[in-house]
Amino acid sequence: MIESNDISLPQLQNWMQGILVKGRPSADERMTIESVVNQSQRLSALRHLNIYRSSYIARLRACMQNQFVALAYALGAGLFESFADQYLDSYPSESYTLNTLGEKFPAFLEKTRPDASLEQKESWPDFIIELAGFEYRLSEIFDQEAAGDQMVLTPNTPDNLLKLTPVLHLFHHQFPICQYYLDFIQNKEPDLPFPGKTYCAVTRRDYKLGLFVIRGAQYHFLKSMQEGKSVKKSMKYLAKNFEFKIEDLEKIWPEWKSTFIASGFLSV
Amino acid sequence: MIKKRDQYREIINALPNPGLGLGLRSKHFNYILEHNPAVDWFEVISENFMDSGGRPRHILRQVAERYPLVMHGVSLSIGSTDPLNKEYLGKLKSLAAEVKPLWISDHLCWTGVNSLNTHDLLPVLLNEESLKHICSRIRIAQDFMERPLVFENPSTYLTFKQSTIPEWEFLKYMAEETGCGLLLDVNNVFVSAFNNDFDPVNYINQLPHDRIVQMHIAGHQHCGDYIIDTHDRNVVREVWKLFSQAWQLTGGVATLLEWDSNIPEFDVYHAELLKAKQYMNRMTGYDLDADVQNYLDAAVSNPVDFLVNDFKW
Repeated sequence: MIESNDISLPQLQNWMQGILVKGRPSADERMTIESVVNQSQRLSALRHLNIYRSSYIARLRACMQNQFVALAYALGAGLFESFADQYLDSYPSESYTLNTLGEKFPAFLEKTRPDASLEQKESWPDFIIELAGFEYRLSEIFDQEAAGDQMVLTPNTPDNLLKLTPVLHLFHHQFPICQYYLDFIQNKEPDLPFPGKTYCAVTRRDYKLGLFVIRGAQYHFLKSMQEGKSVKKSMKYLAKNFEFKIEDLEKIWPEWKSTFIASGFLSV
Repeated sequence: MIKKRDQYREIINALPNPGLGLGLRSKHFNYILEHNPAVDWFEVISENFMDSGGRPRHILRQVAERYPLVMHGVSLSIGSTDPLNKEYLGKLKSLAAEVKPLWISDHLCWTGVNSLNTHDLLPVLLNEESLKHICSRIRIAQDFMERPLVFENPSTYLTFKQSTIPEWEFLKYMAEETGCGLLLDVNNVFVSAFNNDFDPVNYINQLPHDRIVQMHIAGHQHCGDYIIDTHDRNVVREVWKLFSQAWQLTGGVATLLEWDSNIPEFDVYHAELLKAKQYMNRMTGYDLDADVQNYLDAAVSNPVDFLVNDFKW
């Protein structure tokens, strides 16, 4: 056993952090709790230390729950907590902000999926991983740096002036992730969905997020605009690569334009 | 040549007393902007805004135009043996340049080592080695920020066998050596005193009162044989009494009510703050048995919501 006078400051901090984060000291195991921590009138040294240990776990669990509300609902409290605990054990926070705590969670879920070693994959882990990734991206978009967040456009704004707003983000999923998320936040208590290719757009207007389920053609059109192509060129791109007729696209464009403006996808 | 420490001390001495303030919480953003409530000032959690390019920063800019602000951080980790995080300090400085706070505070604590962050305010070792280490880091941080910083006594749930200096004395030396200011959290004194068997009245009597620029008051959760600093309920009478004692000793300083979990409607929060006025001019005896506490069965609240983004749809 090490005498308390022989413990350096770095040793002591490593020891305490090891107990909080891993449940065991990461430094010299000869340092017993009783040799480092005072007991008090009411509590033993171990109980004093356990207040910090319990608080560490509870705080970070609560934070994960806050960052992945829909995922926690989809998995159920017990399973979510188990995944979150494993994640926090593998990837303790390295940031000064809790906002990025869940950054590696989607990749962690992918890496540790229960059917990883099986040839025949189940579909529910794919849903869980997609949902986790989507939720984390929402938190990033919420805080994304962007000038203004305001625009004044009308259906009469000339097409050649239109471009996508910098806070528009396009997603494609193997499951109806966006609809599931929307149903969840509207307290519709959605069931786990069946697989199905879906597309969505997320934007931010007046600093509030907007989520929109869109069609595949709209996704590819907007994607083309996001790459810097004009409205005209994006229509041509869609016609060439997805077997649309340019006349049909021109016919539907006023409706799309009006919807995109109303949804805050476009700016000038 | 005037030492920087003395310059910092003079700046601290000249800080104003803006009155009674509240923590700026996302739940109240809309209310504050719509009603302009008669609050003297707001304290903001620095980490909630320093990386934000979205709504929180947008709101903060508007609040800063209407009210005096103080920036209060939880991640400086002044007691850690890791190097100071210059990226963090840089962002703190940028935010301060934008919102022009009256002062910037953090805690006498460490949050992690080896690049990890436990996101807790962990207790520092209170001995000479640690004092030297912390003072040297305060000097670096203050020089980087080009202003004195203010440090708060944390709630603690343990003490180390190696500690040789009482916390109040540690804070006094720290302020003397670096010119920093102090934020006295009277609720933290009460919580730490109960958990670690010391006399809170003596603690407050012994502090260097001329270095105290701000006080915190808050509610806590009594769990029977220990107390957790939950910031989720009304201030108990014993803490008000300590506030009254500290008010007399400091001559009155900026005072803020913290409420970070189970946050009530704005008017309830504000009304609890205004109770402070009743305790400003009282000389009260100290009676530890005064309040009846309900404890044991309640789950411990873990304030975290105020540290993470709250989406608005």
